[in-house]
Amino acid sequence: MLLRYLFILLIVIPAKAFALIEVDITRGNLNPLPVAVSPLSIDNKSKENFKKILKKEDLGSEISVIVENNLRQSGLFNPLNKDAFLQEPDVANLKPRFEDWNLIKAQALVTGKVTFIDEKLRVEFRLWDVLAGKEMMALAFTTVPSNWRRVGHIITDKVYERLTGEKGYFDTRIIYIAEEGPKIKRIKKLAIMDQDGFNNKYLTLGNELVLTPRFSPTNQMVTYLSYFRNLPRVYLLDIETGMQEVVGDFPGMTFAPRFSPDGKKIIMSFAKDGNSDIYTMDLENRIVERITNHPSIDTSPSYSPDGKRITFNSDRSGYQQIYVMDSNGKNVKRISFGNGLYGTPVWSPRGDLIAFTKLHKGKFYIGVMRTDGTGERLLTENFYQEAPSWSPNGRVLIFYRETKTNSKGEGFSAKLWSIDLTGYNEKMVETETDASDPSWSSLLSN
Amino acid sequence: MNLSKILKNAFLIILASLVLTACATKKTSTTTGQIQGDTYTGTDTVKELAKGVPDRVFFATNETVLTTASRETLRKQAGWLRKNSDINVVLEGHADERGTREYNLALGERRANSAKDYLMTYGISSDRISVLSYGKERPVDSGSSPLAWSKNRRSVTVKAN
Amino acid sequence: MNRNIFISFGLHIFLVIITAMSLPFLSKKPIDLPPIISVELIQITDKTNIPFAPKAKKIIEKVKEKEKKLVSEQAPPKKIKKQKPDAVPLPDEKIEKIKKIKDEKQNPEKVETEVKQISEFEKKELFDTNSIAALIDKSKTESAETNKKLDKVTQDQDKEMDFGGLTLSEEDALKAQIFGCWSIPLGLPFNEDLLVRIKLQLKPDGSIIKTEILDHARMNRPGQGFYKVLAESALRAIKLCQPLRVPSTGYERWKDMQLNFDAREMLEG
Repeated sequence: MLLRYLFILLIVIPAKAFALIEVDITRGNLNPLPVAVSPLSIDNKSKENFKKILKKEDLGSEISVIVENNLRQSGLFNPLNKDAFLQEPDVANLKPRFEDWNLIKAQALVTGKVTFIDEKLRVEFRLWDVLAGKEMMALAFTTVPSNWRRVGHIITDKVYERLTGEKGYFDTRIIYIAEEGPKIKRIKKLAIMDQDGFNNKYLTLGNELVLTPRFSPTNQMVTYLSYFRNLPRVYLLDIETGMQEVVGDFPGMTFAPRFSPDGKKIIMSFAKDGNSDIYTMDLENRIVERITNHPSIDTSPSYSPDGKRITFNSDRSGYQQIYVMDSNGKNVKRISFGNGLYGTPVWSPRGDLIAFTKLHKGKFYIGVMRTDGTGERLLTENFYQEAPSWSPNGRVLIFYRETKTNSKGEGFSAKLWSIDLTGYNEKMVETETDASDPSWSSLLSN
Repeated sequence: MNLSKILKNAFLIILASLVLTACATKKTSTTTGQIQGDTYTGTDTVKELAKGVPDRVFFATNETVLTTASRETLRKQAGWLRKNSDINVVLEGHADERGTREYNLALGERRANSAKDYLMTYGISSDRISVLSYGKERPVDSGSSPLAWSKNRRSVTVKAN
Repeated sequence: MNRNIFISFGLHIFLVIITAMSLPFLSKKPIDLPPIISVELIQITDKTNIPFAPKAKKIIEKVKEKEKKLVSEQAPPKKIKKQKPDAVPLPDEKIEKIKKIKDEKQNPEKVETEVKQISEFEKKELFDTNSIAALIDKSKTESAETNKKLDKVTQDQDKEMDFGGLTLSEEDALKAQIFGCWSIPLGLPFNEDLLVRIKLQLKPDGSIIKTEILDHARMNRPGQGFYKVLAESALRAIKLCQPLRVPSTGYERWKDMQLNFDAREMLEG
């Protein structure tokens, strides 16, 4: 009996204190996070060596500029002006004086060191939480000096992932069609570049029309449509060797090619007698499989990242709409129901969304919807734009836009543009020439 | 109602009617090109395979059906092909720029096939006719107007040999 | 061309006249409108700050009403001593409890319900302040009913009724300050649970003594990497905003505070 009363006492007494105040914080700002990227420290001997090999004055600074630009381009970070930095790179790398960095309002700090050792490039870098005053991440790796730009991209990927929780997309490449000439006689070439526009290379000469290239998941091969000898067919191109080969032996036009997520198959459209259907071909055994069998136009197929389903474009309802089916062609279901025409469906690498082009009342839109067709969101509107392609982390879409010509038919241009999934950070992607049909590779490193 | 009010209302009625009347649209008719039912009916870009045999037929937006005029043109082409049995042709199908690239490739192919099927009803063997689509890649008119687009929605018959 | 205009004009006039004749307002007098009543719009926030559980709230309100009656019957002053946990309420509590115990002895039925309450309580977590509050109030209800005679003890009970929450304006001031400091990572997935709760211990000037992330274990769970990012951003916000905009008085009230950062609203829209 007494024990029970004692128990009651014990329970009641602590509650004499004031109850805990809770305040709900439901708003914040969406400003880019201020981050300071210190130039990587580099010893004089390494500096000399890299200058000799790469013709770069200060590799430590060059690499940090790549990181800075990447972070800025993402729209999520605000790299601070180097002129305001108080600490020298070599000191900052080992023990930053957080008050100094706090002074310039940096919330995160990237420092590092690059050395020339055994003919190789070795880099170590650290990410610091300035406000908490502690290290968030420290990594080191080695590569060949010619990969120095990729070093900057890899550092960005790691920093990005640590600060946002999402995988990065900076160590990637973009394949696209480089265009030149008058609209009625465009010269088109297959081109490839780093995601930040550097290292641009042409893969074909422009003698025949080339269209709609796509990367393989292994990033070694590219598939695209070529009008070689006036016969439009799907081809494969090995980026390293430059070798091209036609895919299959189809008695008619094949087009709209993509790779399966495991890289083993090509999926494409085959047009015959006015009807376009979707087919796959296994790259190893060359077996061709018919996936759709319908008198409508079926094209622009795209696999889900697990390879189990395919989204595609069909006009079987009378107008271009988006459909989803099993990878064997069964269970075809329409998922687009809004007003207008829908095309170019692409499945996000995260598997959660499908991006598309929409045409309604004379305007073109780039949008996304969930894989069951709900939650349609239009991200941007323009006179003409189409063909979104996902960054490997499923966050950014790259697509292309064409301009309206004047009454004389002049002023035509085509450019690549990118936009964040949230609709923010819409911007043009710089290319040497006009450009269209972009396709984003997966991460080059894993 | 008193007189002034009646007059005021009558005035307003007349004014409104005038405004409504003036909203009639003018029908444009140029001598260089025409669109009827969204299909190009002009002769601007049309070449001849032989005297009196136009080399192309036109289509309405997103359509692949042949108009009466198109059928007339193809009838003439068939006649010319029967007379010149050693000639083979390629039917090149095209689309305007107001659509997605890959779908337009398929659309062009379908248009060219429409024309091919019709030629075949006049006894032209399918061995003599091949089909090729350029989608929206080879417009004849680089303008961004409905007239320009209508000229680009076409199937062109080209001599293969 | 001219003929067409005249025909069109004539037809239009015909139509308009027909319309005009059938429309009531052109022939009748204007209606008298009733006088306009001005309505004042008052902004009410969605939530008022109640730290206790809703069930307890009802009980508290019931008790409050009863207390009001009891207090008015009483002569003594309205002075409410600020009760410090350091001060010794224990003896008073003991007295109160002893009184209860006495009551229980007198009313065996009450004992039954008391027992029931305890067993219910045992099932729940011991240190859940909300359920403790509910329990106190329940027990208070009983002692209030049984104790018609009031003395200092019940006045202490009255003090315990003080919630110790922030006023609306104090809360808004703090919220506004933190809104400005919190850089929400745009990379968060907007269809996940984006709530991170941080407990703070504060100095009187609003600077931070200690922070503690509730759900700390979630930070390292696979697939919840974004939670770590979210939590870190919330911690940065707090640090950036030091010293916090705290009320100038009543340090005991708010020296322990919990901030619930929820990014969902910002990212979903």
